[in-house]
Amino acid sequence: MTAVQPTAMMSGRYQRAFTLAVIFLVVSWHLAGAGGQLLHNRSDYSSFAFQGAMWLVMAVAIAAGSVLALRGTPSWRSAWAVALVTLAASTAAAAASPASDMLAVNWAWGAAGWTGLLVLLRRRIGELAWFLAAEAAGILSVQMWDGLHRTDLAGFLAVLAWSTGAQVAVAAGVRALDVAADQAAAAARSEHAARERAATAEIIQAARHTRWLALQESAVPLVAELAAGTADPGDAQVRIRCAVQAARLRRLLAEGDEVPGPLVHELYASADVAERRGIAVEIETAGPLPQVPRPARRVITDAAIAILTDARTHARITLAAVAAGIAVSFVADTGAGVLLPAAGEGVTIQQQQDGGVFWAEARWNSR
Amino acid sequence: MEQQVTVVIIEDHPVVTEGVTSWIRSDPGQRVRLVHTARDLTGLRSARQPSADVVILDLELAGELVTAQIPELVAAGYRVVAFSGHSDPAIVIATLDNGAHAYVSKEEGSDHLVEAVLAAAADRPYVTRSQARAMLADQEPTRPVLSQQEQQALLLWFQGMSKASVGRRMSISENTVRQYISRARAKYAATGRTAASKDALLARAIEDGVLKPGEIVQYKSFASGATD
Repeated sequence: MTAVQPTAMMSGRYQRAFTLAVIFLVVSWHLAGAGGQLLHNRSDYSSFAFQGAMWLVMAVAIAAGSVLALRGTPSWRSAWAVALVTLAASTAAAAASPASDMLAVNWAWGAAGWTGLLVLLRRRIGELAWFLAAEAAGILSVQMWDGLHRTDLAGFLAVLAWSTGAQVAVAAGVRALDVAADQAAAAARSEHAARERAATAEIIQAARHTRWLALQESAVPLVAELAAGTADPGDAQVRIRCAVQAARLRRLLAEGDEVPGPLVHELYASADVAERRGIAVEIETAGPLPQVPRPARRVITDAAIAILTDARTHARITLAAVAAGIAVSFVADTGAGVLLPAAGEGVTIQQQQDGGVFWAEARWNSR
Repeated sequence: MEQQVTVVIIEDHPVVTEGVTSWIRSDPGQRVRLVHTARDLTGLRSARQPSADVVILDLELAGELVTAQIPELVAAGYRVVAFSGHSDPAIVIATLDNGAHAYVSKEEGSDHLVEAVLAAAADRPYVTRSQARAMLADQEPTRPVLSQQEQQALLLWFQGMSKASVGRRMSISENTVRQYISRARAKYAATGRTAASKDALLARAIEDGVLKPGEIVQYKSFASGATD
């Protein structure tokens, strides 16, 4: 949750930067490389208007591909829609180029390859390979249709090696950078978690120390009074004081070193408040407890406060792991029913009154 | 009047021994008689000497956990009731697995210790709230499969309801609540290591109708290990 967000964002930020670099590369290539080639050879084409139209189709495909790539890994449907449009435009542009000098005047081959790279970059590497192969096959078939010469074949192989090699190299580079970004994010995540654990342990330690100091002020004088005989164990007031201090001591001792989570802390805090009014509160947990989100915790602690406020001398709070959630229960001698705050936020509350004893259970489900 | 149950207290803190003795003495029915107290286990290792039905055992003697010594005591013929400040579920479950009849935490002593001793002497299950807690928290792969009703009764009992209230909550009689909790406990006796005390508890549970013989076959045959 909060621990994952910054690191996921960090890894996402790096990936976005790599995507932007690829977009910059593709757009520059299309404007300067392909566009320049197109203008330079404009007199060689049988129809410059058709070539210009194909160039515009490709530009639209690049724009669409950029939007897709910036939104994350595109679905196979949208990625391949863009890829097939560029493939068609590139093959059509090649077919309309003068046969004799095809490789020199064909601006579309490289542009299509880069556009395909842009949308297929983060999909399986095999898909990019298929695309580049299909594109090369398209160009080769156009050349064969025009009547392939040995020099044409050599030129074809040279262009193939150059452009495909560069595109595969960029794809591999981005992949390596993605992996590095993920690793950096994972390292940051574990460091973040370790820091959070240490911080929580410190808070627990501090809370324990505070309680221990409080004992010095409350339990120690009581024991001293009992020993000196100034407090009479027969006195009901003294017995209540003893019960409260005993409950407090037990809580202090029961606290393990494990990180109990914020819900337990909040209930401990409610118990501390009730104790000041002379209510003995015990808190027990059973099983590994799930983390409860803040809004649900508030519903539970509101119920705790309502019940502890009405308790007369004693309250027991338990937290138990149950299927897909947690059951927090309260048993207190409230004398009468307690008006509980509204349930909600995934928390259901049940209650029962038996004589002077009130029971309520707040159950939170993660589903 | 039934015969008194005889008991030995093994406890290294004299003040606790003193407290336990006073609970035994203040039992209105005088159902338990203290025959011996000791601060360690040395005297009890051999054959049931002194002769007593139940041993109340502090799980930590002179700073050391003695859960591993429970099987010896059980083999010597004692029923063991663990009485401890250690409420860690893993320790409670290990204590039961080693053949102790019941676990009573130090906070529960005044309300439950004498009753637990009597139940142990009769080979009947006795489940304190702290023991219910350990059973609910049990993550061992070998833990028995509890029915939903057993699970729910254990949970409400752990939460602090009286058994009558648990019954009202579940729309069943108080007696049925006891049955569910006892059955959950008896299922524990059918798992893990063999011990005479666990076999006796199971046999008694079947005799009392808490558990049907068929219900434990899925875990382990208890009859094969019966020695008494």
